[in-house]
Amino acid sequence: MRNSSPIPGANLLADTRNYAWHRPPDIVDYDAAVEYIIDRIDDPFQSQMVMAMLDIEAQVSTIVSTLLLQAVSTGKMPIDLAIIIAGPVARYVEILAKDLGKPYDMGVRDRDEIIITPTLLKQALGIVEQEEDTEEVAEEPVVSPETVTGGLMGMPDEMVATSEEQDEMLGGADITETDPMVEEEPEDEL
Amino acid sequence: MQFQDAVKLSIEKFLQGKMPNKLAEVAEGGALYHTPEYFDQLEEELLGEPVEKDKGDKDEK
Repeated sequence: MRNSSPIPGANLLADTRNYAWHRPPDIVDYDAAVEYIIDRIDDPFQSQMVMAMLDIEAQVSTIVSTLLLQAVSTGKMPIDLAIIIAGPVARYVEILAKDLGKPYDMGVRDRDEIIITPTLLKQALGIVEQEEDTEEVAEEPVVSPETVTGGLMGMPDEMVATSEEQDEMLGGADITETDPMVEEEPEDEL
Repeated sequence: MQFQDAVKLSIEKFLQGKMPNKLAEVAEGGALYHTPEYFDQLEEELLGEPVEKDKGDKDEK
């Protein structure tokens, strides 16, 4: 069987300089990165693309990630800086959409949106206090193993054998009479 | 977390007026220009009041 996995240390010999994101990025400053993306949005071709995406009701977050991924893939900025500037870029796209009178969806949770959680729902319905009152630990009855009589595997009441019967069943009565450990040696007739 | 999820989270935080605490310290000049207040002002100028020529050129950038 042929082993197709790389040999240990192969990564140290691989030439990865052709990938843009493996080289130092061109932009590392926050304001410079925002300026770069805003300039790209203001570019006539990119502006048309952004407006077209807004026309097809694409979310602003999707448009922003597309623009940022382009910048990251060309090595303009590192990916963490791209994530940081996503907010300002989205805000700029939002302002553009408002200015042009286009309907838009930010694609994020509304800041005034109330998240309905089970606790919030209980508080709204007023069942939290009732639950606390009814939270009584039900004590389980202590059942000794000797008194277990019911059930499929339980011992029936009427069939409890006496100690003598139990000795007899276990062979205790025969121990004194015919002890298997004490065997009589056959008499040597020879 | 996927890139798209991180972008959404970043947008959400920025719309709430939050920014990374240490960002201003590493910024050139020690101060940030593109803050939530800046974009609020930009929106007000573009959509509400007439934009001055000098400032408008810079804001449209």
